[in-house]
Amino acid sequence: MDDTVEEYNILVTSVGGQGGVTLARVLSYAAMDQGLNVRVGETLGMAQRGGPVQSHVRVGDRVHGSQMPRGRCDVLLSLEPAESVRAPEFLGLGTRVVMSTAPVYPIPVMLKEETYPELNVITAALGRIGCRVHALDARELAMRAEAPASLNVVVLGAYAALEEVVIGTESMRRALGEALPRRFLEQNTRAFDLGYEEMRRQL
Amino acid sequence: MGEDRLHLLMGNEAAARGAVEAGASLAIGYPGTPSTEVIETLIQWSKETGMRAEWAVNEKVAFDVATGASLGGVRCLVTMKSAGLNVASDSILSVAYGDVVGGLVIYVADDPGAHAGMEEQDVRAFTCPLPIIDVADQQESKDAVVAAFDLSERYKLPVMVRTTSRVAHGKAPVRFGPVVVVDRKEPVKRDLPRLMRASSAWVKEQHAVLNGRVEAVRAEASSSPLNRLELKPGRRVGVVASGASWGYLQDVLDAHDLMDVSLLKVGTVNPLPTGLVKRLIDGVDRLLVLEELEPVMELQVKALIADLGKRVQVVGKLDGSLPRVGEYDFQIVEAALGKLLGMALGRDEPELDRLRSEARRLAPRRSLPFCPGCPHRGTYTALTQALREMGYKKDEVIVTGDIGCTILGMNPPWDSCWIEVSMGASVANAAGFKYAGVKAPVVATIGDSTFFHAGVPPTVNVGWNDTPVVIAVLDNNVTAMTGHQAAPSSGYSATASEAKTIRIEEMIRGAGVEKVVVVDPYDLKQSREAFKEALSHDGPSAIVLRRVCSLVARRRGLLGPPARVEAEKCTGCLLCVRTLSCPAMSVEAGKMAIDQASCTGCGMCAQVCPFDAVVAGGG
Repeated sequence: MDDTVEEYNILVTSVGGQGGVTLARVLSYAAMDQGLNVRVGETLGMAQRGGPVQSHVRVGDRVHGSQMPRGRCDVLLSLEPAESVRAPEFLGLGTRVVMSTAPVYPIPVMLKEETYPELNVITAALGRIGCRVHALDARELAMRAEAPASLNVVVLGAYAALEEVVIGTESMRRALGEALPRRFLEQNTRAFDLGYEEMRRQL
Repeated sequence: MGEDRLHLLMGNEAAARGAVEAGASLAIGYPGTPSTEVIETLIQWSKETGMRAEWAVNEKVAFDVATGASLGGVRCLVTMKSAGLNVASDSILSVAYGDVVGGLVIYVADDPGAHAGMEEQDVRAFTCPLPIIDVADQQESKDAVVAAFDLSERYKLPVMVRTTSRVAHGKAPVRFGPVVVVDRKEPVKRDLPRLMRASSAWVKEQHAVLNGRVEAVRAEASSSPLNRLELKPGRRVGVVASGASWGYLQDVLDAHDLMDVSLLKVGTVNPLPTGLVKRLIDGVDRLLVLEELEPVMELQVKALIADLGKRVQVVGKLDGSLPRVGEYDFQIVEAALGKLLGMALGRDEPELDRLRSEARRLAPRRSLPFCPGCPHRGTYTALTQALREMGYKKDEVIVTGDIGCTILGMNPPWDSCWIEVSMGASVANAAGFKYAGVKAPVVATIGDSTFFHAGVPPTVNVGWNDTPVVIAVLDNNVTAMTGHQAAPSSGYSATASEAKTIRIEEMIRGAGVEKVVVVDPYDLKQSREAFKEALSHDGPSAIVLRRVCSLVARRRGLLGPPARVEAEKCTGCLLCVRTLSCPAMSVEAGKMAIDQASCTGCGMCAQVCPFDAVVAGGG
């Protein structure tokens, strides 16, 4: 791991209520813990339950604006499969995508008025843009960790297992205690570990 | 809250810290995205800081309270979104003509890109010459508030700090400064020629004093740390930038290692630091002006170039290089800088863009639903049922909507709410439709906080003129859309765990609308019957649909047990999903299922199921 980071961009996409904004907060605490400069970009206006939510976490000495430039996303953490293609303008050649495969269906899909894309169609579309996709069922793993609300932390754990992460795993673990309620630390640590182990197995 | 380390703060939280450092005694505002977190943060900190932080019923009331407190000798911060500035501007213009005693700072949040669902107003173009500091990042959000208090007291003027969504809601490390202890000043003396507007001679003198003060601020702006000029020899090109554009510009300059562009970073967008602009104009042949929304600086820069008799080409909005609509980003600034430098900086990637839009098309639409257990779901469902039972077609009865969660009745399956104008407008809009001769009933839907904010005067107008409209007040006891701030209907306030509950039905009766009922929107039959009666009434009528916001109920542990589906009775007709569109519902193997974690036990699905297949909570 380099001591200095010039520009490293993380995009978190989710459906409102899944914990995307919280995940961005954990990442930014972890980066601060490591002494890195951070910018977090969010628009909280209409991002309530059920709507699409995006957070930008930018890390490094050469980041200024709160939104990353197009095509410069280093890693996309998507808490829902279809949300991974909500903001493809930021993705490009070499973007790593960590995606939870459990869908959250909008009501028109439930009523069969609209279709929901198949997982392999989403993965293929991301692949054509040049992304490398790592998928896991974070909802199932969160259940197994007895932490059903910690789907976001499972995805964080999976991300920590990738080899080119600029934020250290130990900083992330500390951030779980700092940025989230202490009383959930134990279950969040279990969720983090399960995500980490699952991604290790896949790599 | 130590000074030794960096704190990762949202722009609004940083502004709150600025008020603490400046020794403000009062922070007051009305919630409005993206400004809300300033007061929220100060309420959280109030035990430690001793500052009085609270919500007012609207922005004008907030500013008027702050004016009184300032004249009483203490420093005050007033916060609002840009639409709120319009509400408060009547008083702001007046106070600008007079004096303040304790520093009076107005923090206003604009929303380029319209993320919060409001107009793309640019408060820098506010029709009053008051000083405005435009902040570019989170550190500046704090520093500008501190600087604004200082300016305000030295020049006896209200001073505005303007932020935008990306800065207000973005986060970055902020370094704290010391907290100053400010003693209360002597309250203002009775001085009619300074504090009254009721004389032409006084007002003209006050106007001249105001202009003189603003020119004095301009004179010091060129040496203020709020404005920074970096002249670079060589290329003879420069950029003037303010607000969020500054961050994008830094990113672009770094990405292309451009070190030889002269830069003027403007904090005081009004009054513009004319001295610095003139020095920049002297050093360049081409100039780029970066500012979101209106060409406020650009027009002034062009005027200065003309005054100086220079031939400097300006790249900006007026030559069509940059948009007046929406927010800027890295690519927009990169392209504009490329135009300034006469070179292509960005790369065109048409094939990649095509693949990206292909991917984008896969994402399903997610309209914003009412939350599980939202009482407004009951209101719009009961209204829809009442209209159907009375034989009206869906597009026959006009429903005027208002600001807040209540407007989400515009979405399917209700497809209600025809118009949305501004806080409180729904009631008077409905009256206007009747004045125009609309025969069918007209319904106004408005939330409780919005009713207190600006719905009372139009209700008086309706009562006074006996205008036959139906006023539906969706009273969920809180200002919900902006994150559950206390309202006069809550029974508590930011400063008191118990406060008077102001009863909307009593206010409506007092306004001369005698036919008023209060119903529970979870009871679809009761609400439906109330709507039918109001819709058949030939005078003004009102229904208060009262039930606490389900998110507040959840937080307080007030929820009933969740509903469940008896699978053998469910025929899979999905009438419940079609009628209520509740996020706690899903379809599993062709039958309705209820997510037990998100269901609040409101029981509405049990009421609409024709097969009694849903067992309401506790049943």
